[in-house]
Amino acid sequence: MTESPSDEAAAEPSPLEEFAATVASTVGAARHDVVFDTVKVYVDPSAWIETLRTAKHDLGLVHFSYLSAIDWANDVAVGDPPAEPVEERFEVLAAVADLTDGRLVHFSTSLSKDEPALPTATSVYAGAAWHEREAHEMFDIDFAGHPHLEKLYLPSDFEGHPLKKSYPLLTREVKPWPGTVDVEGMPDEGDEASDEGSDDAAVTTPAGATTENPGR
Amino acid sequence: MTVDQDAFRYLADAAVSVELETEDMTLNIGPQHPSTHGVLRLVAKVDGERVSDVEPAIGYMHRGYEKICEVRTYPQITAIVNRIDWTSGYANEVPLIVAAEKLMELEVPERAQYIRLILTEMARIASHFMFMASFPLELGAATPLMFALRERERVLDLIESVTGGRFHPNFNRIGGVKPAYGSGSTTRKITQDLPAGFFSGSRQAMDAVLATCDEIEDLVAGNEIFLARTKRVGVLPPEIAADYGVTGPNLRASGIRFDLRKVSDYLPYDRFDFVVPIGTMGDSWDRWWVRLEEIRQAARIVQQAIDGVPSGPLQAKVPKIIKVPKGEVYVRAENPKGEMGYYIVSEGGQGPYRLKIRSASFSNISILPWVLEGVLVPDIIAIMGSLDFVLGDVDR
Repeated sequence: MTESPSDEAAAEPSPLEEFAATVASTVGAARHDVVFDTVKVYVDPSAWIETLRTAKHDLGLVHFSYLSAIDWANDVAVGDPPAEPVEERFEVLAAVADLTDGRLVHFSTSLSKDEPALPTATSVYAGAAWHEREAHEMFDIDFAGHPHLEKLYLPSDFEGHPLKKSYPLLTREVKPWPGTVDVEGMPDEGDEASDEGSDDAAVTTPAGATTENPGR
Repeated sequence: MTVDQDAFRYLADAAVSVELETEDMTLNIGPQHPSTHGVLRLVAKVDGERVSDVEPAIGYMHRGYEKICEVRTYPQITAIVNRIDWTSGYANEVPLIVAAEKLMELEVPERAQYIRLILTEMARIASHFMFMASFPLELGAATPLMFALRERERVLDLIESVTGGRFHPNFNRIGGVKPAYGSGSTTRKITQDLPAGFFSGSRQAMDAVLATCDEIEDLVAGNEIFLARTKRVGVLPPEIAADYGVTGPNLRASGIRFDLRKVSDYLPYDRFDFVVPIGTMGDSWDRWWVRLEEIRQAARIVQQAIDGVPSGPLQAKVPKIIKVPKGEVYVRAENPKGEMGYYIVSEGGQGPYRLKIRSASFSNISILPWVLEGVLVPDIIAIMGSLDFVLGDVDR
């Protein structure tokens, strides 16, 4: 994804890079990178379960740390869009680790945005169950075969998937906002185009709201 | 307590296993129950005094931090993450700031790193003392609470003297720690950065902490009721714990000697001499004992660290407006409750594009359905108490 921070690392692979290469070749991944000591191995969605199974049983990565997703979107309702245009997709991350040397691997896979689905990892790591429920409610990713794919945090009648980039911060839009009373303007260099309009509007608009808040 | 009409559907199952026909009852525990440390609801199916199935209902404290962090700058996020696990607010900040510093490739001054380490260990002592107070209390022993909270107050006073906050210090800055008493200057005299008497106060406090550990051990460890309520109750085998992502003292109580302070370099722990205590059985007793021992080890680390705090600046040179270069990084730390990690996806802005917060208690209580199956109803309290979770850390 990003370039390695140091060039000399490429000349002589560090133990972590060797480890990452071993993991990638064992699971048959075409691509991996080690950036800032973060090991990431890219696999195909079709190889997801097999990869996790290999990681657990052959590579000793027995500890299930977490599973989550990233919504890569060019058109965002909150925050800033990516610096450069990205391919629209959900990136699912599963972090698994060993319990001896403290090595942690992120397995990454990309899902298309129409009907994103993965087979459930609960048969490999039982701890994935809650994490998949969270990813399901937050990103609308389907985990086929999950025993109990209900909402985890949100009320069962909640509509929408809050961590999607297209989901606005609704309370910010509707709740009265004190505006200039106790909110400092964000430190801003001023040269970047802002979708919040003029400086005055920026102060009266809560962070994350798409429109000027009328409740002032 | 309500009888679930659906429970009649389980009559047939019950009749197979017991001669006398009993009906399962659905028992709601919480969401506001003293033993749940926040708002956790357990929907338990009980067959007499036995629990046949438990479904934790969480989310009552879900505050959507991951979403709101997408519209916040890193200094603002530091204040937010204090509130995740409020029993050790300081420790929550460290992995986030270290992650941002990694992306910026900043070299943090040694003095700042030592101060971070000392405060993290103090937060660990405070958090574990909270456990030492609450866990015996839930089993009916009120006296240890007085001892534990007295020492916790001592440690919180020290944290407050440095940071100005007891629970939510908001003390870390990208590049170092906040210079004391305002102004934001990075060139203040080093005599001004830690309050006068901090070192001697810490030494005294650590001596008192170690003495109180012995007192608590005398009080609790020999108590027959406490032993009966905790020994072989809620046994958690190591492979199940790893499978569910259980970390921290709960994992070590199951006999796995794994501590991120020993294998990771987010703070200079390799310069200090301390041991990682482990349990043998993985029962509630071991989880209590491991935490007691961790207080002692944390006090040892603080004692060594205050003797070795180097002089120097508190902050690296950073621009006024902090923009974190494009990149992704995951940094995890050994927090009092377990592994706390932040996955930052930065797109070069003042705040992250996406921030995944991996909190310890979330994974630690996902084990509840497994570990509570088949236990007696009163043991629910003992087992939940021994797992030492905080609902802010579960729900984020």
